[in-house]
Amino acid sequence: MFRPFADWLATTRLSELFQNQLWVVPTSQSIHITSVCLVFTSAIMINLRLLGIGAQGRSISQLCTTLVPWMWGGLCVLLLTGAVQTIAEPVRQFVTPAFWAKMVMILLVAIMTAAFVRKVRTNAARWDAAGTRPASARAFAVSSSLLWILIIVCGRLIGYTWVLYA
Amino acid sequence: MSVGSLLNAIQDLPLSAAMRGESAGTEWLFPIVETVHVLMLAIVFGSIAMVDLRLVGLTARGSSISRLTDETLPWTWTAWVLSAISGTLLFMSKAVTYFGNFEFRMKFIFMGLAALNMLIFHFGAYRRVSQWDTGVAPTSARVAGALSIAFWVAVIFFGRWIGFTT
Repeated sequence: MFRPFADWLATTRLSELFQNQLWVVPTSQSIHITSVCLVFTSAIMINLRLLGIGAQGRSISQLCTTLVPWMWGGLCVLLLTGAVQTIAEPVRQFVTPAFWAKMVMILLVAIMTAAFVRKVRTNAARWDAAGTRPASARAFAVSSSLLWILIIVCGRLIGYTWVLYA
Repeated sequence: MSVGSLLNAIQDLPLSAAMRGESAGTEWLFPIVETVHVLMLAIVFGSIAMVDLRLVGLTARGSSISRLTDETLPWTWTAWVLSAISGTLLFMSKAVTYFGNFEFRMKFIFMGLAALNMLIFHFGAYRRVSQWDTGVAPTSARVAGALSIAFWVAVIFFGRWIGFTT
């Protein structure tokens, strides 16, 4: 159902421009990966802190204040460069199940993260107090880490599987 | 043994053939190893960038740098070792081609520069870290942080371009 849209998008002036300038896609992908580094490591760092494994020297609210702005900024760069890659190669993206799985998981993890950050911000004192973290925090840490890993796996999978569907 | 014959010998190993997916059951080996490589490099650069950005003064101002490096360095090194192992496996699949590739060589030149920069920082400004641990880093440390980011971004860019030029 997305195929006609992808075929149309591929014929637009902007898409043709991106396709003809051979440096656009590799450069966009390189910026994409650089942003993946910042977003993924920030998420893992916060999650390790929640699980009591890493970054024990800083409080949870401190860690969130430092890292979350980089995560949202990085996510914006990811969406922008991802859009460039999608406009340049629409069929590759829209026909591939890994692309849609990736999009759904990004939406999910973004909502989860926003809700979590809100909770930490509105109740920083309780989060920073010593003692065990609520089970929900540990569930968030495990599930969002898994989602980020699967998002990266799906991203790589698009490149390897799209020819099967095109 | 010349470099050429050594590269050919590496490429002829059964493991290299498996990395090329030549026998049944190994078709997905390269994509799997490459995905591991991406996940690990994300942690390598992400964790290095956290320290670099603190040194430059763009984030986490006022927090202890030595504590930050203590927290992140074990993860950086672990992920680096796994990146190196997965990277070696990827290299083995087409050793001759990769070795002769311009982007591949540039990637390793920049990784060497990043290592040199780290050594100079470690045995230079970082030896007196107790004097500026929670304050503004001295100029030499800020320069080291900025160079580190530039070198590693170059490593990522050239790394991604290898895939488009081999």
